[in-house]
Amino acid sequence: MITVNARIRRGIRIAIIVIVGLILAFPLIYLLFGSLMSDSQLTSFPPQFFPTSIHLGNYVDAWNYMKGRAVLNSVIFTSVTVFLQWLLCISGGFVLAKLRFRSSNAVTVLLGISLFIPAITTLVPTFIVADKLHMVNTYQGLILPIVAQTGFGTLLFRQYLVNLPGELIDAARVDGSSWFHVLRKLIIPLAAPATGAYVAISVLTAWNMYLWPLVVATSPNVQVMTETLAPLASSEYGQVPENVAFAATALTTLPMVIAFLLAQRAFVRGLSGSGVE
Amino acid sequence: MAVAIRGRARNRKTRGAGDPPDGGAEPVSVSWASRDRGAAAGLLAPNLILYTVFIIIPVLLALGLSFTSWNLVGAPQWVGIANYKAMVDDPAVPQAIETTMIFLLFGVVPTIVLGLLLAMLVNVQFRGVGVVRTLYFVPAVVSFAASAILWQWIYRPGQGFLDFILSKFGINGPAWLSNTHTALIALDIIAVWLSLPTAILLYLAALQRIPQHVIEAAMLDGAGPFVRLRKIIWPGVRNMTILVVIVTIIAFTNSSFDLVNILTQGGPINATSTLIYYIYYAAFNNVQLGYAAALSVLQLALFAAILGLLAVARRFAR
Repeated sequence: MITVNARIRRGIRIAIIVIVGLILAFPLIYLLFGSLMSDSQLTSFPPQFFPTSIHLGNYVDAWNYMKGRAVLNSVIFTSVTVFLQWLLCISGGFVLAKLRFRSSNAVTVLLGISLFIPAITTLVPTFIVADKLHMVNTYQGLILPIVAQTGFGTLLFRQYLVNLPGELIDAARVDGSSWFHVLRKLIIPLAAPATGAYVAISVLTAWNMYLWPLVVATSPNVQVMTETLAPLASSEYGQVPENVAFAATALTTLPMVIAFLLAQRAFVRGLSGSGVE
Repeated sequence: MAVAIRGRARNRKTRGAGDPPDGGAEPVSVSWASRDRGAAAGLLAPNLILYTVFIIIPVLLALGLSFTSWNLVGAPQWVGIANYKAMVDDPAVPQAIETTMIFLLFGVVPTIVLGLLLAMLVNVQFRGVGVVRTLYFVPAVVSFAASAILWQWIYRPGQGFLDFILSKFGINGPAWLSNTHTALIALDIIAVWLSLPTAILLYLAALQRIPQHVIEAAMLDGAGPFVRLRKIIWPGVRNMTILVVIVTIIAFTNSSFDLVNILTQGGPINATSTLIYYIYYAAFNNVQLGYAAALSVLQLALFAAILGLLAVARRFAR
């Protein structure tokens, strides 16, 4: 009797879990369906769920509206930023975890402070620094100030590497390898899980970044996708058909959704600051 | 020898009060220490140089600029504390602070409560649980810009999805984003949707550390859901809550600019003009860089105060 009751309760609970999950993911599921609808179907009332006919042309219109250049710029910005920042963070985190020097703790604290400074606090002065370095509306100006946000990544790698047995490094050092060699041949392969978590969260942050590009990249040559996408919600609202706006939104969002589905473990670790398995 | 080194390493650790927890650091052997200072500097320097140029100098610059008047043309004029005096007399400042606080309160609290409840809901094993949990986590990858377009459609006055649902209950939905009473809440709902995945994730991690048999034993002893929540769940997630609150506050601080700028531009009639949006407006619309810097200092002080309060709360929570 008890087991039957328990089984029913379990079934109800699972049903609730699925329904709530579908509600939370609903805007994303609808994004996919809506991006394939005709404009009249998408804006019809009452709203319809399934597309009655498939309009792939929405994506062509969306691509033309977004401008291939902005898509390309987003790819460049994301990949270069993440790669350079990863290099700085893993080498810095390695030094702070495994090499002994006097100001090690001070440097760690200094990097940690930045986690608690909102981006807006430094927005104006960072723009001024970029302006003085003649970096406004250049890739360097778009990329370097974001690469410089090394606080999170360096501490993440430090925390990961600090638990690594020192004997491993000792052994590598005995045969006369340089520190650079140890980093490349030992640390980077060993830190692969931390790199996965870090890359997942950093790619996501860079791909979705809006405030800094909005300020520093105003010319179409360097504009990224979030900048061309955002006006669809306000100033361009009504100018561009809703189904094309949906397709444009899907174009920028689906790559990250797919990446998430493929590398869920890494994303989950990254989102939780890697403190959690 | 090894013991001595270990002891020294421990001592150093206890002195580093600001150290993040790293769970039993392995000691570093002494033989490398002095020889390899150069290597350490070489590997760390590029990181610290960029960090200094684009993080530390801007923070100090913000402080310095707040005592000047500057419109980007010519040299900044030293004006002493005039910007801070102007801030006190500016009626938009307390209004922006109030708007920000309301935005934070009605966003962070629901995120925490829903985050814990949903994490408790999905903290169960069944075939396909991983796939189903993906539904809960996947909104985390959506950008503010993309979510703005999606929710713009959901909020469409009269014929949007939300008003359609409400009409089923005989309610006439307001013009969510252009009504002074609902615009801020409408933005909060979007930000909660975006922040929930991380909150659920963190809480789920804490919940999974509570052994299932403890909960089952409590149920056999006749402990109801409320007692279980208070006696077993809450002690298990109390410390995690502080982290969830900090992460959520940072997320909402960012969304208080991005969503506002994309969807409402501070309107209608300043109803969504958060402090961050006002700083941006002062800097890039009015080109009052000194005043914007002073507002940034205020923003940083308020942010530090909130985090300070959380640190105190954490003391008492233990």
